[in-house]
Amino acid sequence: MNYIPVTENDKRIMLRRIGVKSINDLLIELKPRIADRSELGLPNPMSELELLEHMKRLSEKNNLMKYFIGAGAYNHYVPAAVNHLLMRGEFLTGYTPYQAEMSQGTLQAMYEFQSFICLLTGMDVANASMYDGSSALAEAVLLSSSYNGRNGVFVNNGLNPQYMDVLKTYCEGADLEIVNEINEKTTCVIGQNPDFYGNLENLEYLSDRAHKVGALFITCVIEPTSLAIVQPPGYYGADLVVGEGQSFGIPINFGGPYLGFLGVKNFLLKKIPGRIAGMTTDSKGRKGFVLTFQAREQHIRRERATSNITTNVQLMAIASTIYLSLMGRTGLKNVAKLCYNRAHLLQKKLAKMDFKLLNDKPFYNEFLVRAPSGSSENVLSHLLKEGILGGLHLGHDDILICCTEMNSLQDIESYTSIINEGMLLK
Amino acid sequence: MKLIFEYEESITGHLPNSNDDDPHSLGDLPRELIRKELPLPNVSEIDVIRHYSNMSRKNFGVDIGFYPLGSCTMKYNPKINEDIAKLEGFMQLHPLSHQSCIQGSLQLMWELGEYFKKITGMDAFSLQPAAGSQSELLGVMIAKAYFKEKKEKRTKIIIPDSAHGTNPATAAICKFETITVKSDSRGNMDINEFKELLEEDIALVMLTNPNTLGLFEEKALEISDLAHRNGTLMYCDGANMNALLGMTRPSDQGFDLIHLNLHKTFSTPHGGGGPGAGALGVKTLLSDFLPLPRVVNEGKHFALDYDKRRSVGMTRYCYGNFGMLVRAYAYIRSWGNELRKISEHAILNANYLCSLLKEDFELPYDRRCAHEFVLSSRKLGQKSALNIAKRLMDYGFHPPTIYFPLIVPESLMIEPTETESKETLDKFATALRKIAKELKENPELVKGAPYTRSVERLDEVMAARRPNLRWNAHTGLEDEEGKKKPGINEREDRRQK
Repeated sequence: MNYIPVTENDKRIMLRRIGVKSINDLLIELKPRIADRSELGLPNPMSELELLEHMKRLSEKNNLMKYFIGAGAYNHYVPAAVNHLLMRGEFLTGYTPYQAEMSQGTLQAMYEFQSFICLLTGMDVANASMYDGSSALAEAVLLSSSYNGRNGVFVNNGLNPQYMDVLKTYCEGADLEIVNEINEKTTCVIGQNPDFYGNLENLEYLSDRAHKVGALFITCVIEPTSLAIVQPPGYYGADLVVGEGQSFGIPINFGGPYLGFLGVKNFLLKKIPGRIAGMTTDSKGRKGFVLTFQAREQHIRRERATSNITTNVQLMAIASTIYLSLMGRTGLKNVAKLCYNRAHLLQKKLAKMDFKLLNDKPFYNEFLVRAPSGSSENVLSHLLKEGILGGLHLGHDDILICCTEMNSLQDIESYTSIINEGMLLK
Repeated sequence: MKLIFEYEESITGHLPNSNDDDPHSLGDLPRELIRKELPLPNVSEIDVIRHYSNMSRKNFGVDIGFYPLGSCTMKYNPKINEDIAKLEGFMQLHPLSHQSCIQGSLQLMWELGEYFKKITGMDAFSLQPAAGSQSELLGVMIAKAYFKEKKEKRTKIIIPDSAHGTNPATAAICKFETITVKSDSRGNMDINEFKELLEEDIALVMLTNPNTLGLFEEKALEISDLAHRNGTLMYCDGANMNALLGMTRPSDQGFDLIHLNLHKTFSTPHGGGGPGAGALGVKTLLSDFLPLPRVVNEGKHFALDYDKRRSVGMTRYCYGNFGMLVRAYAYIRSWGNELRKISEHAILNANYLCSLLKEDFELPYDRRCAHEFVLSSRKLGQKSALNIAKRLMDYGFHPPTIYFPLIVPESLMIEPTETESKETLDKFATALRKIAKELKENPELVKGAPYTRSVERLDEVMAARRPNLRWNAHTGLEDEEGKKKPGINEREDRRQK
């Protein structure tokens, strides 16, 4: 395929106007060495049809399963309307709304997204999104350190291990230290809720410990459909809430693009990284939206910026805004209740099959079980053979299992009966 | 302008099927954990569709018209790549699936890395960074880890004054000090000043090539040689790679690291400001430091390698913005070994458009440009770049980047890209020339623009002074007459009464 519209005749006119004989002459004038054609060694070009066939074949080398796994990527239903709206070229092919008068759609979507995040988390202000949940957490830690000038980072048990890895990378780069106790040098305390094992908790005790030594308390929410039924982090004292918005209308997509979010209490407003949209008026007094507090950002503040991030993940933010609008209060609560109930149903069934239940707190839609001694490999491979990804194997015989509204009662039934058969075979 | 929160209560259509179990129960969840109120609106599907369709109509994208936003490479985003990215086998694949189930995706990532190696001359790539700026951060972290291992204390990074703001911002996050070098009269980084500043505590030189003026750094090789002799690493900000495809490889210019912006050069849609995707390439001496996991080709199959060795670790969840990698891969395969045409035509279009405009505007560095060029409207008065930008909207064009790079006063940074026709370029040049004339003959007209968008010029000062950054559930928002509208909960309360 060739996406260049200039004809040979156009080219002649253009070159004459520029004052050169050929493109090669132009390149020689531009920078002598680049005129030497270097062989790229890439495959031959493809027509649209050939490309589609090739890509289909490649995609079919992947095997899709019934997923009983989450661990940071949650398989929820995405209403058809989300994608239809998202594919409108006006949303898809614009860029950062530097020119507000030409970008009112994007800017209003940002404002609505910020509002949704605040309403769900109980924060005062949110930005227009971050790359993903894990980098949002890392940015929140950088924010904390720049706010109070401290460098100790305390992480409560139960943070998603990949998020922990990302945090370690950022801390190493920014000269921050992950510490084992909370004291006067602690910049922030991090608690994930529900945590990696699905546990739900009122984190007020953690928030109190942070605030007692003047540290900020960050809550990390990676399965945000939970916010439809459980108390928002603002309720138990979070100063910042960060997390992953993928559950809101974004496909699991082999890990990305996803949607980081970051909300804060008012006193941290000027420290927020990334884009923020604000409402204002135009010269005729009509309401409209602009990017605001841009003086925090790298294109203005350079080395004194609050962060180096440039864009957000606007299209993903629009997807989640549309998703939340379509689901509404009632739909979102139903999704959350289904996730909760199906996970609990499966857990109860597994308990009857001699799986040990390892959650000692209430849980949302993920839970940890220990398979009967030495059987976890066998259990998971039997499920895999029948097209079910049965969970995340965490070593020993521990399996982290997740249910969403996509796991029907029938799926749950198959899950347990396949295990039963597998065990009989053994 | 109505917010989604301001619709009257309606029936939402998207209640997941709940025939088979009771969606109202929450089993044994302790009451103290249960949320007391969820202040979200219930809006019908048709109203949601209309709301966002109408919002989109107040937007502008490459699909609507010419979008010559300099340094952003707003080229056409092929529709087929959207369909391909949505193939079920790619889109519905869980990232933590068993290795036997992800061979197609791993193959795609591995091959894409190989293509990038061929295009840039680098020895190894990571596709993990979510965007250009995250690639930069990763690059600087790698440089930091490299010198730490060598036990060399290097605390500074050299950056030219024409650089993108992300360069110094990234350096600062990793606690490096930024040393800024001026540009010379030809738009190059000043080599004499550079020589003076190049001391033994310099870790990295970050160069954009072609630079943000759209000009090739004529001394790039000499700079690399000097840096390397000093033990300093060379970083290439590949934002402008659209000028280099199949022509020169950044490795040939002596760079040790480069990031590519897939949403620029490789046509993944900009999405109103992301998701983008970055890719970081390095020479062998740094390849061990790339993040985890790495995709490896084991002959019969592909695998993910989590062996830490000297790696800096992970920079984000899982493997990268995979959906964007699919689009970039498809784009490269559609062009194949003819990729060079992209850059040839990007350069042709930029030079042609420049030739149409340089008499009516000032061209501060009168050299052949690469894929973009920077004009100055200084002679047309203060704030003329801003006023021209706003007036261009009335002619149906997205404005160029303005007031960047910072070293050109009243700058208009124009990047037409290769996907525009001569007809479009001619029309744009005519509009710009007409606006320049308007500015001389009827300046008030231009200063009041735009007149044809959904809003006129917006008050940014008020936005910052009286921040209104979210809708509030309990108070609603003031309506046009200044009266408070009830919030969602109040509406609900009222109904219950």
